Parts: sequence; structure tokens; C-alpha cells
Amino acid sequence: MFRRRRSTDDFAAEIKSHFELEADELQSEGLNPEEAYRRARVEFGSAQAAQERFYLRGRIVWLDNLLRDLKFACRQLISNPGFASVAIVTLALGIAANSTIFSWINSTLLDPIPGVAHTSDMITIMRGERSEHPTPPFSYLDFADLRDGARTFTGLIAYHDEYMTITGSDNPERIYGAVVSSNYFEVLGVRPILGRSIDMTAQNERLGTAEVVLGYDLWQKRFGADPSILGKAIQINLHPYTIVGIAPQGFQGCKSGLRSDVWIPIGMDPQVWGGQRIKYRDSLWLNVLGKLKPGVDHRQAENELNVLMQHLVKQFPEAHQGPNMISSDPLWRSPFGANVYLAGTLPMLLALALVLLLLACANVANLLLVRSVARRRELAIRLSMGASRWSLVLQLMVENLLIALAGGGLALLLTTWTAHGLSAFLPPTTLPLTVNGSVDRTVMAATFVISLLTAAVSGVLPALRASSLAPASALKDEALNTSGGIHKSRLAGGLVVGQIALSLLLLVCAGLFVRSLQSEQNSDPGFDPNHVFIAYFDLMPTGYSRAQGIEFDRQMLVRLKSLPGVQSVTVGDFSPLSFNMRTDFIQPEGYVPGKNESMEVDRGVAGPEYLGTLRTALLAGRDFTDSDDAAAQPVSIVNKALADRYWPGQNAIGKRLQVAGHWTKVIGVAANAKYRRLVYDAAPLVLLPMLQSYRTDQILSVRVAGNPLSYASSVERTIHGLNADLPLYNETTLAANMQLGNAFERIEAAFAGSFGLLALILAAIGVYGVVAYATKQRTHEIGIRMALGAGKRDIFRQVLGRGLRFAGFGLLLGLMISFALTRYLHGMLYGVGTADWLTFVIVAILLCVITLIACFVPARRAASVHPMQALRTE
Amino acid sequence: MPSQDNSDDRIALLQGTLDLLILKTLVLGSCHGQGIARSIQRQSEEVFFVDHGSLYLALQRLEDKKWISAKWGVSENNRKARFYSLTAKGRQQLVEKTTEWERLTRAMRLILDGPSSEEV
Repeated sequence: MFRRRRSTDDFAAEIKSHFELEADELQSEGLNPEEAYRRARVEFGSAQAAQERFYLRGRIVWLDNLLRDLKFACRQLISNPGFASVAIVTLALGIAANSTIFSWINSTLLDPIPGVAHTSDMITIMRGERSEHPTPPFSYLDFADLRDGARTFTGLIAYHDEYMTITGSDNPERIYGAVVSSNYFEVLGVRPILGRSIDMTAQNERLGTAEVVLGYDLWQKRFGADPSILGKAIQINLHPYTIVGIAPQGFQGCKSGLRSDVWIPIGMDPQVWGGQRIKYRDSLWLNVLGKLKPGVDHRQAENELNVLMQHLVKQFPEAHQGPNMISSDPLWRSPFGANVYLAGTLPMLLALALVLLLLACANVANLLLVRSVARRRELAIRLSMGASRWSLVLQLMVENLLIALAGGGLALLLTTWTAHGLSAFLPPTTLPLTVNGSVDRTVMAATFVISLLTAAVSGVLPALRASSLAPASALKDEALNTSGGIHKSRLAGGLVVGQIALSLLLLVCAGLFVRSLQSEQNSDPGFDPNHVFIAYFDLMPTGYSRAQGIEFDRQMLVRLKSLPGVQSVTVGDFSPLSFNMRTDFIQPEGYVPGKNESMEVDRGVAGPEYLGTLRTALLAGRDFTDSDDAAAQPVSIVNKALADRYWPGQNAIGKRLQVAGHWTKVIGVAANAKYRRLVYDAAPLVLLPMLQSYRTDQILSVRVAGNPLSYASSVERTIHGLNADLPLYNETTLAANMQLGNAFERIEAAFAGSFGLLALILAAIGVYGVVAYATKQRTHEIGIRMALGAGKRDIFRQVLGRGLRFAGFGLLLGLMISFALTRYLHGMLYGVGTADWLTFVIVAILLCVITLIACFVPARRAASVHPMQALRTE
Repeated sequence: MPSQDNSDDRIALLQGTLDLLILKTLVLGSCHGQGIARSIQRQSEEVFFVDHGSLYLALQRLEDKKWISAKWGVSENNRKARFYSLTAKGRQQLVEKTTEWERLTRAMRLILDGPSSEEV
């Protein structure tokens, strides 16, 4: 194999020497020299054939041919840099759109728990009604019973995640962390890189051990990657924990897209966040994940859990009054975490990107077609020299593969940059969001496969068509240079029609998403987001008692209100449109819930003058005041949706409403406001006064005159005058803070819009290219027509008419496709129907105009042809 | 000009025998391709016609297998020629192939001469 191959020249020399030796011998037998040499050659047979066989010996013929084709293809592309670069860039754009979005899907939906390789046998478990924003659905006691009873799982784990603060040092740090069941790390298969995971002996799970596993990033940043940190204490929310382990790099907990920094045994919940919810069967606060036993179907698991759950319901009916149906989801569309939003958006974007790629393929196919006409002579000669059609097709496909792979390479290069772009669409937020993409081996492989498909889709038809010419007529055509070629090609026409149709589809999608976003942003949120300064803070780490915290709030509100320029000020445990609204179970006076009816509604805790500060209209009754405190009667404010649903046609004011087990009196009815997401219909909401339902974790809202951010320093000074050590987080404006609320709609509109624009450009180039080329090919014919008396106007009209025919067919096809496909966008659009006629009409007109413009230039050029010149171009 | 397929068939048919004949010829001493062809023809009393193309390819094949070695030299009548000679491996192969061939011919003869007259 590695020995030097004997050259074909050497072999030829040997054959030549054979002739000479043989001729010598024949001569000595009496023939004359000429005759002897002739005989020697004749007897040998074909020396050519022998040499060919020598050459082929030991070679892999097809590989040899392929390499030859490849070399030729390279030469062809290099000799035609204009064509090559346009084709490569067009495909690169199309491929990059796909590889970018795939890279996002790859690191979110396909990698729902970073750091855990195999999650396909894991499911998240939901109880009750399905929702995009479910509250954690299980109590600790139910979870523990399910875990003990279930046989279909390798393990069931539970966690609750929330903000915490590292206290006990000069720089308190707000982090996101979780309390987890004792089998958490074991079931996930995550091994700490240092130390151990939390204690797994189940006996003391409910009491908990004061220990903590640190996340890798926190360990790196706060503790300088110091390995001797193990065994030392860290104070979290004023309670000390022993550091027992460091989680591996990349592991961030099992809520998709949100990074936890610490994991604490579940039994420590009372120490971390206060309260005794771990003791109660009706406190729902845990998210549960299960790892299925091998061979177990998720349905079997669901069934088993439902059976177990029914036992619990029978045993403890008081604690299970809501819906108790259990369902499960694979992690890629788990309703807990970011994936529930991404699972709707990203696959749809990938579908749009695929349409864009198809359009790019059509453009390149058109280019190839035009080029193959220019190469007819070369192809015809090769055919008449005995090349098979198959070998021509192969040669053309190799060229096309080269273009597609170059495009794919360029796209991959682009993707290394754009993959990290997803997070750029998410506005700054206090949430520890880790939603992003990256280029890994899967993305590379996918890009490669997409490139291969691209080569096939864009190349096969032009290659078949180019190789189907009859050599004789092609050569004759070429020789006479008569008008012929592409304008006769139905394929070219079909491609243009297809391009117009596909770009119509993309433009319609773009239009629908943009209009949806517009109507979302123009919709009345039910509050006024302008001129409001907000800041987050948490009183937990201050160590205040409940009474001290309430007193702090009272004083803070009074002092802030007296600042010049401040109109009103309030606190709440939520801020509109920033994913921090919670829910609670209610029991309205006089309302009998149906069997298993969910009585879970949105619940906010709001300070005095909350509605006034946010400018949510009060329909009846009054706002909270600072006298709605612990000493006064428990009260609540409901929104119109809640009043209409549970007390239709009645006056809600004065009704009694039980919230989370406590009776309150309704003192106000607020207008429906969109505190959760702009695209949601108004849902029932109840507000409780902060001074009665005290929460340490609060968000301050200050309505001011002028620019809210200019109040930051005076607000800080005022608060630090009350407690110098209280850190304020996320000081921003309400308008900025609620950007996250429609981030996904903006991503959809941005991508659909830019894909639509690209599609428009590609379609315009495609139409222009084909019409211009066809017109150029027909210069001769046009010359004859004009010589025979056709006017400029006739020629102009003819060329333009041709373009318009394309447009007409394309629009018709595109409209049909769009009507058929846009209905799948149902549920993603807000305030606009999937068959919104205005969008369709505007897009159709736009495309028509663009097609006209693309035809106009070649049409004018054709009309300005001088007949003599045209005939002389031969 | 014979078609590619045909000549491939012939190689397959002659391969074993041609290799053996070449090795046998070279036992007498090194020789060039033309000499080998002549020698085989002469010794078989002109029964065998050696296809020269196949011969040279066979020589190349044997050389690749290191059964024979080749060297450019000068013939008796002062012509440049490529001379082939047996290697040790080639000698061993010759013995093996000869035995094999003899077993084959013996078996053939047994069948052809044997009591097959029942059918006749």
C-alpha cells in the first residue's frame, strides 16, 4: 500500500520494449523490419487496453471519478467567481437561518437539563389543569407517598426553587436556589465534582440537614474555585449551612432555562423561606420529575400515579378539593421553566427558516439553470464524446455539492456567532435565565446534513435538465446562436412561480406576526406602565420580624411619598408582565364549585394605593390603604373577571372570599388588567393587602413625574436611611421590566419579519434573473420582430406581460398555500386572525409591485433594442 | 479491440494457470516479458496463445505479491528490457501451485478415465 506505485509511463516503456524485442526476433526469422514491427504490434493486441487496465488496477474507480469530478468542479467554480459567490452566499443565508435556530433548539428543547445527558426517559408531572404558568402542583406529603408507592419509576424527585440571599458577610448576594428531595442528585445521575451530594438517608428528609451543594459558577465566582471550601459554613437567608459538595460545571438544576446556584435538602424549607408548608398536605409548592424504569411507557406511569393519587384523595378528601388528575410531559415541553414558551416558538421559526431555505434553493436552481444554458456547448461536446448522461449529472451534482458545502461552511461560521444571539432578544431581567444556543457536534452534523439536502434540492432538477440536451441540436444551436434556451424552459418558469409563492407564504407569516405584535402592544394592559420606577428588595435577610417588616414598609412608603416629584408609591409581591404572579385557591361566598373544578386563581399581594399607583381603574369600592393592617378586618380586592365568574349579576363589594384558607371581605372591584401576559385573556385575580398578608420579597413601584430612572438615587438614599444594608435589585422602569412579558412574541415577529424581507429580496432577484436572461436570449428574436414592424411598446408589453404571468401564477399558488398553512399559527397570534385578509392583500400587492419592478428593467432594455444591433449580435 | 468485460473474463479464467506458467518459466533464470511469452508458447508447442496484455498485468500482479522481482536491464541484442526473476517466496509458491495443479489434473483424469460408461 505504501510502496511507491509503478508509473504508467514505466509500464508503457515495458510494452514498447516488448515490441522491439519481438520485432527483432521476427526479423531474425526473416521478416523485413517494417513488417516485423507491425506483426509484433498486431500480436500484442491492444496496448492501449493493457495500459488502461494497468492504470485501473487496484484503483477504486468511482472514487477516482469523483476526485476527477471534484477537481473539475473546483476549476469551474473558480473560473466563475461571480456565479459561485452569489450561489454560495444565497445558500449560506438559508442554511444559517436553519442552523442558528437549530442550535437554539438543540441547547434548549433537546437539552432540557444541562449536565444530564439522557433525559428522554424523564417526565415532569403535572396535577390539575394544564397551563402555561402552573404553580408547583404537589405537597410534600403527597409527593413522599407517591414516591413510596410508585413502581414504574426509577425515581421521583421534587424541588422548589426561588430567590435566596447569601447573608453573613459584607456583601450579601441574591441568588436563585432550590430545596430538593434527598434522592435528587442520585436520580438525575449528577455527581458532585468535589465532596458529595446531599445526605440521602430518607429518615431525616423531612427534618432536613443544614447542608448545601454549591453550583459550579457560584463556587468559581464567589469562592474563587477554592477546594478547601468543603466543610465550611455558608449563611443563606440568615441560617448557616455546611458546604458538602460542588455540582459539576453546566449543571443548573432541572427547571429549563433557569439557573439555580445552590441545592439545599428539602427539609430545610422552613429555615430557608419560613413557614411550615412541608407539614401540610394541602400546601402545593413542589415540582415533581420522574425517571421511568426501562421499558415503561409514560402512560403506564401516569395511570399508576393517578391510581395512587385517587387513594390519597379518598384518604384525605379535605386536602384534595381541586382537580387531582395527573398528567405528564416530556422535558422538552415541560410546563415548568422556559421550554414551555420555547417549545411553541422555536419549531415554528425552524419551519419558517426551512421555507426560506427552500426559496434560496429555488434561487440557486435558477442560477444553475441559467448557467447550464451558458454551458450547453461544453455539455454537448462531452455527451458527443461518449460521456453518459449519468456521468454528466454526476459532474453537475458534484459542482452543486461543492457550492452547498461551501454555503454550509459559511453558514456554520455565521452560526458560531448567531447561536449566542437568542439571549440578546431577552430583555434584562432578574430571572437567572440561561436560554441560549451554542455550536456543538450535533449542530455541525445537522448543518452538514442540511447542506447535503440543499445540494440535492437545488441541484437535481437543473442537472437532469442540463444533461437532457440532444448534442447535435445543442451544438447547432450554439453554432447558429439563434434564440433558444431558457425562455423555453418550463422548469425556469416553474421555479419563478414557486419562488413567488414561497415568498408570499413567508411574507404573510411575517405580516401576521408583526400585526399580532402590534395589536398586542396597542392593546390596553389595564394599567399605565409609563413614569413608574421599580426596584426589588427582600427583607428576609434583614432578620426583621413580621411586625418590624410591616413597620419598615409603612415608614418607607411615607418617606418615599414625600420626595419631590413622587406622585404615589406602593409595594407588591409581583410586578406586571414579569413572570412573578402567583396563584392561590379560593372559595367565594355562595359559590358551589363543580366536581373537581379548579378554584385556583391569580393572586397578588399589594401594598396601599396599589391600583392607584399602577393606574388600574377601580370599578367599585376602594383601593387598599395603610389601615388595612393586621389589626383590621382581612380584606381583598378582586378583578372584574373574578366577580363576573363567581358572582354574576351581583354586587361583589362586601362578599366574603376565602383565599388560601383565610376568609376576607371584598372591598373593591378592579378593572381587568393584564398583569401576567398581554396575550392572555383576563383571568380571575384576587389582591391581598401587604400589611395583612406580609411577604418579605417585595417589589417597589413609584409613580413619578418625568424620567423614572432619575429618581433611582433619591429612592436608594431614602431606603438606606431606614436600613443601610438593604440591597436593592433590578432598579429599572416598569415599562422596561415588562419587556420580558412579550419577548417571545417579539422574537417571532423579528424572525418572521426578517425572513419575509429576505424572501422578498430572493424572489425579486429570482424574477429579475429569469426575465432578464430570457430577454437577453431573445435579443435576436426581438430584433426580427422590430424589423418586421413591432413597436417598442409591443416589446415592452410582451416582456412585462411575461413577468406578470409569473407573478399571477405565483400569487395564486402562494395564496392557496398560505391559506392552507397559516391556520397552524392559531394560538400564536393575538388580535389578528390566521386568515387576516388585510395582511394577505397587502402582501399580495407588495409582491406584485416588486415583481413588476423586477420585470420593468429587462423590459425597458428589450424595448430599447436597436433592430440592426440585435441582428448583428449573432 | 476486445471489450473490457471480455478481457476481464479471460483473466479470471487464465489467472491461476498463467501465474503458474510464469513462475515455472522463471525457474530457469531471469527473463523479460517478451521472452516469457515466447517461452510459454514454444514449450506448450504453440497450444497456448498468450494474450500479451494479460501477461504483463499478471507479471505486475506477481510483482505486487512479491513472488517475482523486476529490474530494468539490457537484453542479449542490446535492447532495454525489464527482467523478472523469482524470489524465495515465488519459489515456494511454485512448489505449492505445482502440487495443487497436479492434484487437480489427477482428479480430472480420474473422473474422465473412470467407469463412466454406464450412461453411454
